[in-house]
Amino acid sequence: MVNLWADSGEPVRFPRVVFPRPWQRAVERVNAVNLRKPLILTMIASALVGSLAVSSVSASAASDPGVSDSEIVLGMQLPQTGAASPGYNKVDDAARAYFDYVNSKGGVYGRNIKLAVKDDTYKAGLTITSASKLINEDKIFAFFGSVGTQTHVSVIKDINRRKIPDIFVNSGFSGFYTDPKKYPTTFGGLGTYTVEAKILGKYLKEKFSDKKIGVLYQSDDFGRNALAGFAAAGLKFEAKKTSASFVAGTQGSIGLASQLSQLKANGVDVVIIAAVSSATAVAYATAGALGYKPSNWAVISVGADATTFQTILGAKGVPAATSAAMLAGTISASHSPAAGEADDEYIKAFKKINDEFNKGPDKRWDNNVFQGMNIAYLATEALMGVGQDLTRAKLVSYLENNGSKLSSAALAPLGYSKSTHEAFTGFWIGQYDATTLLAPVDGKRVVYTTDSGSGAVTVSNYKRPAIAADALPKVA
Amino acid sequence: MSKGIKPVRLKYKVIGRRSALLSIALFISFILLSNQFDPYNQSQLANIATLLIAVLSITLLTGASGQISLGQGAIMAVGGYSAALLVTRLGLSMWLAFILAIFVSALFGLFLGLAAARLSGPYLAGTTLVMALAIPSIAVRFETFFSGDVGLSVDYGVPPTWLSNLVGEISIEQWSLYVVLPFTAVALFAVLNLSNTRTGRTWRAVRDNEVSAALSGINIGRTKVIVFACASGLAGLAGALYGFRGLVAPSVYPTDLSLTLLTAAVIGGLRSIGGAIFGTFAIVFLPDLIEKITKNFAVPESVGNYLPSLTIGVLLLLTVILNPMGIAGAAGHLRHHRKH
Repeated sequence: MVNLWADSGEPVRFPRVVFPRPWQRAVERVNAVNLRKPLILTMIASALVGSLAVSSVSASAASDPGVSDSEIVLGMQLPQTGAASPGYNKVDDAARAYFDYVNSKGGVYGRNIKLAVKDDTYKAGLTITSASKLINEDKIFAFFGSVGTQTHVSVIKDINRRKIPDIFVNSGFSGFYTDPKKYPTTFGGLGTYTVEAKILGKYLKEKFSDKKIGVLYQSDDFGRNALAGFAAAGLKFEAKKTSASFVAGTQGSIGLASQLSQLKANGVDVVIIAAVSSATAVAYATAGALGYKPSNWAVISVGADATTFQTILGAKGVPAATSAAMLAGTISASHSPAAGEADDEYIKAFKKINDEFNKGPDKRWDNNVFQGMNIAYLATEALMGVGQDLTRAKLVSYLENNGSKLSSAALAPLGYSKSTHEAFTGFWIGQYDATTLLAPVDGKRVVYTTDSGSGAVTVSNYKRPAIAADALPKVA
Repeated sequence: MSKGIKPVRLKYKVIGRRSALLSIALFISFILLSNQFDPYNQSQLANIATLLIAVLSITLLTGASGQISLGQGAIMAVGGYSAALLVTRLGLSMWLAFILAIFVSALFGLFLGLAAARLSGPYLAGTTLVMALAIPSIAVRFETFFSGDVGLSVDYGVPPTWLSNLVGEISIEQWSLYVVLPFTAVALFAVLNLSNTRTGRTWRAVRDNEVSAALSGINIGRTKVIVFACASGLAGLAGALYGFRGLVAPSVYPTDLSLTLLTAAVIGGLRSIGGAIFGTFAIVFLPDLIEKITKNFAVPESVGNYLPSLTIGVLLLLTVILNPMGIAGAAGHLRHHRKH
């Protein structure tokens, strides 16, 4: 074998680690070896390592993958760990809890629903690999409830190309849903940010017409979607004056002080936040430190979960009573009953199932747990609606044709149709009270509805169907 | 007692043929392996082929010329963005974009080398680490051009009909392997071949003893800059191929990508190309292997999700302490001992 990399004979030096004598001699003997290049040997070794990880090649199935007589396999990708995970990492356990309940009652046409989950730590490179794992190893029937706009962008094209249903995506980015020709199998699981921003924007514009309104947003599609919605509602902001942005994900390290100082210096009295929950927590803490007290805060729902807010501030040493006081008076919107509404029939039923079936590390009831269970309820309903003969194509067309008739805990219907796959099209405006409960403003709950375009904001007349006694969806 | 190093055969022609044969052997063995694998592992093989190019760039940089770089991930990002922008904004074909990405990153490496030529050791390591942290966020700073956080959606496309007619129906994953492999084979050939050329010997001289090399008439500064440019070209190609898996965005080239590549090079053996191949197999397949094992135990999420990186970190520590020459060094040690 030719000596390919001849060297001067000096051993590669690394920091010297000193061991007791006998060990040291062994280490030094290894260190003194001149390098040989057994290229073929290492290639064989590599192939052996590779073969250890290889799973057996399975025979191709005649029907869609992920469906058998005994089970349906759904796949979810979310940040279970990492900077973006607080709060969102409870969604999978909550959804699984509801599916376990459904399975305990006989499943869907005798099939148990199984949820395979992969952690992508909110990094798109990992999302691609874990999506491939879910498709090829776990052999899922459909993607369900994927969390994260940025990360979903990296896989949505491939999922749609393979015609895999991508149902109830936990992202409000309208770009995923407003063009069903581009993404035919993707369906939303949250109200879009544009719709919410339009409704919230109209309310704020009318209520605070005499005050200066500013916005703090994260500079990704989430934030931009929200801005577009505000613009459609007639709320205009001036960049660098009444509008401040920050790079999504950096809120922890930069503290948002310069953004908030900018808003303060420009006399902004009503601050809107379009960012994730951890950014909201940081913004409030920093504003307090800067002595900045706007008369009102308004937060887009995705970033306004009270439990996550208190948990993040709690980790910084802020006691629960203080963080609750900080949150009080904040305006937000929601398409569902607030997680704290203990008398709501859906919430009562879901809470009971959560207590009994949730096996996750943190099952404290909050909006994330509620959302997880609600989309699980919707998924069960859709799977029931398709019937015994379950295929991917049938699920997609069922959702498109019947989505708007599906019931759930939400106070607005799904907006699915042939021309759009946006989810909840209605929001009600609420204000956090002293007990971190989001209560309807002016005492009475009014649900507004609009589209992602330039349509007007109108009052919705949707009546939510009552929940069945066994908390299972009923399909005609 | 050591018999001494076998004399190096300097005939360029013979080495060229051997390098070509080895590269072709790699190409064929990857394709044969992929035919035995299911689609997920086919995509993992494509990952290996892609990351191998990046690890080879580290072998070139550190093993052949003694400069350390903790920022190859950043140069991958440069290559990835060049290719993605060329495809999405200028509508060029993917293949042309890959080739142009090599030149763009080589140019970038040239400028980087001009700065780095004065630095060495920990200072160079620190500079390149800062690069790894900072460069992906340029895409976010200049959002309108680079598409910010959401990135540029690109992919390998679908297998062309002439290929399907030739080898039969292939999966999208296997197509990605077919796209990457030619580049890997050529990169491997280039790196293998380099060692016994005059350039390769010059680089080794600079690595082993700068003063002696300078005394022998080698221009140290120029050599270092050229090495950086070549290694960056390779890393840029790897980055372009890596990005086309689905997305080119800052989160696709995080800091730990650079560190993972270095880990692969060290575990396999910094100066060995065979080691580079082994190291790349290890970092790609090890997480899957660990997941397979932990599936049988009730491991909580917070532990299970970190286990692969923990294992690779421990492997790195063990390699540095016990066996700094890496796996290739250990294999060489065994061969060496068997002769006596």
